[in-house]
Amino acid sequence: MGFDLAFAASSLPTILGAIGTTLTVALVSCIGAAAIGFLFEMVRRAGGIAGLTVGFVIDFIRSTPVLAWLYFLYFVLPFYGVRLGSMTVGVMGLSLYYSGYLAEVFKAGIDAIPKGQPEAARALSLRRRDAVIYVIVPQMLRNIAAPLGNYFVSILKATPYLAVLAVPEMLGRAFDIASETYRYAEPLSVAAFIFLALALVISQGVKQLERWLLARG
Amino acid sequence: MLAQPETMVGIEGLNKWFGALHVLNGIDLDVASGARVVVCGPSGSGKSTLIRCINGLESYQEGTLRLAGTTLGLNARETAAARRQTGMVFQSFNLFPHLTVLSNCTLALRRVAGRSRSEAEDIAMAHLERVRIPEKARSYPGQLSGGQQQRVAIARALCLNPRIMLFDEPTSALDPEMIKEVLDVMVALARDGMTMVCVTHEMGFAREVADQVVFMDGGRILDRAPACDFFGASGHPRSRLFLETILKH
Amino acid sequence: MSPFDIWLGILQGLGTTASVTAYGLVFAVPFALVFGVAQYLARGVARLLITGVIEFWRSSAVIILLFVFYYVLPVVGITLSALTVSAMVLGLNAGGYASQAVRAGLQALPSGQKEAGAALGLSRPAILLLIELPQALVAMSPTFVNTLIQLVKATALVSLVTLTDMTFRAKEIAQVEYNPVAIYTSLLLAFFVVCYPIALAGRWLEARIASPGSRAGGI
Repeated sequence: MGFDLAFAASSLPTILGAIGTTLTVALVSCIGAAAIGFLFEMVRRAGGIAGLTVGFVIDFIRSTPVLAWLYFLYFVLPFYGVRLGSMTVGVMGLSLYYSGYLAEVFKAGIDAIPKGQPEAARALSLRRRDAVIYVIVPQMLRNIAAPLGNYFVSILKATPYLAVLAVPEMLGRAFDIASETYRYAEPLSVAAFIFLALALVISQGVKQLERWLLARG
Repeated sequence: MLAQPETMVGIEGLNKWFGALHVLNGIDLDVASGARVVVCGPSGSGKSTLIRCINGLESYQEGTLRLAGTTLGLNARETAAARRQTGMVFQSFNLFPHLTVLSNCTLALRRVAGRSRSEAEDIAMAHLERVRIPEKARSYPGQLSGGQQQRVAIARALCLNPRIMLFDEPTSALDPEMIKEVLDVMVALARDGMTMVCVTHEMGFAREVADQVVFMDGGRILDRAPACDFFGASGHPRSRLFLETILKH
Repeated sequence: MSPFDIWLGILQGLGTTASVTAYGLVFAVPFALVFGVAQYLARGVARLLITGVIEFWRSSAVIILLFVFYYVLPVVGITLSALTVSAMVLGLNAGGYASQAVRAGLQALPSGQKEAGAALGLSRPAILLLIELPQALVAMSPTFVNTLIQLVKATALVSLVTLTDMTFRAKEIAQVEYNPVAIYTSLLLAFFVVCYPIALAGRWLEARIASPGSRAGGI
């Protein structure tokens, strides 16, 4: 039978047609993960029982596979009468799973700010809220920009998991072609190639951003 | 409050512990308005902790600390108002790296003093000129030398028009060739009549501007004297030993 | 089935999860060492080629890579068991990540270490083996532990290529028993009891390495 390059090429447009879905899912999941992760880190930082609990939740998420979370949400939510589209469930799963990692990114980003910075803000009599908005958050954003970009790539590479929930992203499209033609090798290779290219291009972009931030001092 | 020289800082029986470590042990110290006090002593003597207590960056467990007529720690609003009378300069500058020199200076003017942008910039430029660095207003701290950064930090602290300036080893993190430019600014400030408490080992500076030198060790004030006496033959043996080691290099 | 039976049923897949992990390490560890060191030493075109291989394994989406090798290899005449294909793909993906830790660990060593070795008359391979690698591997060991956890978690994927790991068992049980809450909670818990102790060990290692006194003692 062999690997049919012409067939691979002919499947490219169909698979590439789902790139919008893939990128949208990745972007929305990344924003969701960042929002939950930031919230997690704020609660953890505040300490107390709530902080310890959230710390454990983060550890739990990081000790379990994303596939298990997707199954969990996909099958457990309907059991409680919550019926959501598979795309929504997929985005929720990726957001929840990566929030555990992004909480660590926020933690590192805040910890990397020298102790003298909030102290200088206090010495200048800035209110706590102003110190957070004008001194802490801008420096944190600078610290997390590159790791956040790298996690966006990770999330992008995790979007094909959603094919398991029948979300029509690029891997799902590749499988559609495969099941119609009984040829798996070509469409799957094409999907793999597109993801690799996307990941490499975005990673390069993140590296440039990192270099630019460093150069600004 | 009208005729007699006002007490800017009044410290009585101040005690502070970090866990089991007694970092401040029965400190009494008065700083009159217009006075210039130099605090010196070996590292770990509690001198930095003391100066950080004066503007409330550190809390303490016993004693009273009055700043510009307010007893610190009784009332959050009054404590905050009293702190606004102080300007602080740190050993490691602590400029905000993501803001330009000008924005470093205008941040508190706009957010604390409620000045408009143009008012704040005018005030900030005046102080940057005072520390002789107006041409760097649009630069970022990372683009400046250590000496330049510390002069900006002094300008930033001056912007809120403080009645007392606190210096916490302002030249210890600097290369030797940059120390003078910072000390020159501090001497000029002293000449203008600014009340100053300064933790430093720069004895030349102390001799030139200080009217009182305080020597600390082990959390206590061991010796306090007018500068001329401190550098004379009298004084505590411990501070004499300290001076000898300091002045040798 | 009681929730406890469900939990036991899922643990029947633990053997497969463990073998894929162990078999995966057989691919991951040599790949990480060889390619990490090679990328550190190589220059010019050689380095470009090595980086290309690493990036292929590291930057690809591992779920797709698994399917690709599972379906493509037979097409080009290579028949491997599902276990071997899974171990290879997951292992080399993890190895790709770990190789970057090896290289970064080597690059982070002060150049004085290499120079001191040379000054003692050691050959280049001896310097690498006796001076550079031991320090780099100790320094990066927390990263390797994290990669190991990622590998264990990635084995959940093998359920998609018919291997009966814990995830596959969960889905099998789900076909005969409608109790998704117990089944998928058990699945998450099963992975948690495997991965969390590894994470704690990693934290202990990290703390040990971070305290300067322990480093001189060597691990």
